[in-house]
Amino acid sequence: MSYYFTILSPTDTPIFNIAFGTSKGGGDGIARFRFPDTAQYMNQFIIHSSLDIVEEAQWTNGGMYLKHVDTYPPAAAYISAFLTPSGARFLLLHQPPQLPNSNTGSLGSSSLLGPGGSTTRASSSSIAANPTSPQTEEAVRQFMNEIYESFVKTAMSPFYKQGMEIRSPVFRTKVTAAGKKWL
Amino acid sequence: MSTNKASRIGEEIWKTRVDKVNAELVTLTYGTIVAQLCQDYNSDYQEVNKQLDKMGYNIGMRLIEDFLAKSGVGRCANFRETADMIAKVGFKIFLNVAPTVTNWTSDNNQFSLIFDDNPLADFVELPDDGRAQDELWFSNILCGVLRGSLEMVQVQIEAHFVSDVLRGDDTTEMRVSLVRYIEDEMPPEEE
Amino acid sequence: MSILNLPLEFTGAPHNCGRHSPQNTFSSSHAQLSIMTVFSLIIINKAGGLIYQREFQPGLRKLSTNDYLVLAGTFHGVHAITRTITPRLPLQNTASPVVASPGTNAPTTSGYSYPNPGVPASGLEYLETEKFRLTCFQTLTGTKFLLFTDPMTGSVETVMNKIYELYADYVMKNPFYQLEMPVRCEAFDRHLAAWLRGRT
Repeated sequence: MSYYFTILSPTDTPIFNIAFGTSKGGGDGIARFRFPDTAQYMNQFIIHSSLDIVEEAQWTNGGMYLKHVDTYPPAAAYISAFLTPSGARFLLLHQPPQLPNSNTGSLGSSSLLGPGGSTTRASSSSIAANPTSPQTEEAVRQFMNEIYESFVKTAMSPFYKQGMEIRSPVFRTKVTAAGKKWL
Repeated sequence: MSTNKASRIGEEIWKTRVDKVNAELVTLTYGTIVAQLCQDYNSDYQEVNKQLDKMGYNIGMRLIEDFLAKSGVGRCANFRETADMIAKVGFKIFLNVAPTVTNWTSDNNQFSLIFDDNPLADFVELPDDGRAQDELWFSNILCGVLRGSLEMVQVQIEAHFVSDVLRGDDTTEMRVSLVRYIEDEMPPEEE
Repeated sequence: MSILNLPLEFTGAPHNCGRHSPQNTFSSSHAQLSIMTVFSLIIINKAGGLIYQREFQPGLRKLSTNDYLVLAGTFHGVHAITRTITPRLPLQNTASPVVASPGTNAPTTSGYSYPNPGVPASGLEYLETEKFRLTCFQTLTGTKFLLFTDPMTGSVETVMNKIYELYADYVMKNPFYQLEMPVRCEAFDRHLAAWLRGRT
């Protein structure tokens, strides 16, 4: 599974981005998206396109964790969201690994269009590979809560101004650690 | 007076005589002040250090009376005792930390305070402009407080930070040097 | 004077009338002589200037403002002289036991060698007449508190310590109080009066 995590300020400015891969089930923690390196912006597009749904979903219950809110089938991308009371959004895009036998050999833009088979195959395997299973939902919840805690601490630094990009290396390390721990 | 006795006094006063306040309120207030200074002085960190020291100096001159009134301690017999008093009573009752006194010079005129815990610097990450890490002493107000309060009891010192975990150092260390004991000024002779 | 009347409302002092009549007040304060009568307080800054003067219970003759200033200056001088004539012992027993016994004043004038160069010995601490006693407490910072009490009263020290604490709290911690300048802190007056009233 590959992850792309982003934090959006209340005014929709991205203030933090990180890409990482799963560390569960022998994963090496390196992100392997189905887009070529030249198309990394695709993740941002997909994540931002889910904002409308997040905005709808945020009124459906009082919780901060909205679980899995959106799917982008062409890229087999799943989006989970977490809202802070101050209006910042934590969005996590997860993309199950492409199974070798589905759509073999295409790591380029072609997979963006139709890897259909891979999702169904992936959902049957381990937690890490199934983005909608309750276990995954729970793992993401833990991940989000941990990030939230670090986020609050970072935001309390006197030199951090609301809405500013988070450049803190400490925060980045903590996010990486949380990713390693839960995802 | 031994270090242990100083620790006991500090502990006792802290428990019974001190009004407590939420630590985060203090941390955030102080952080805001420093950040504001950095902004006001356009990130001239040397100047910010100076201002913090000055603010601390003014605080120290007032705070010393509170320290003496609360603790009821008398005059220290020597600079070593002064150091223990600062670390185990002063810091304890005002910040609830007790830095370690160490690295004495052989003439007993210089020592270091090692802070394992610094409530002023919780949550703080220095600005990443490439200079703050080398120039700003975030907790510099403490140097001023020591300088101001000791001056009021006729001890002139010089204090500065030599390392800070905020800068990525392993420890937070303040170096304190005795400059001189201020001779008691006599009133002008009226003869 | 208006401040003096305030605490009466809520401390429930036994004599709740006659504050305005000098005759009555005097007799009521007589009744408390055995406990503690604090006539007045003077604070002198380290340069010898009068920065605070206040009467709590009548009993002493009033002086003019100018005379109070003179009193402060004179006392300051006398205090300094009494300190300089303190005998010094040869510098042998440097480890002095007097250091830091809580609640006590600076070491008295009994002879001992100064532990540090520049550490002053204490000067005049008591001045007593038939009718009143003047107790002087000098803080380590050089500020002097002069308390005029009835000579019969015992532990002036408790009162002195409390006054020092109130001074630290309501004068020194008042950000608008300028160091070494005359004390005009209403909160200090109030708490001082309330506390003294509460314990007499």
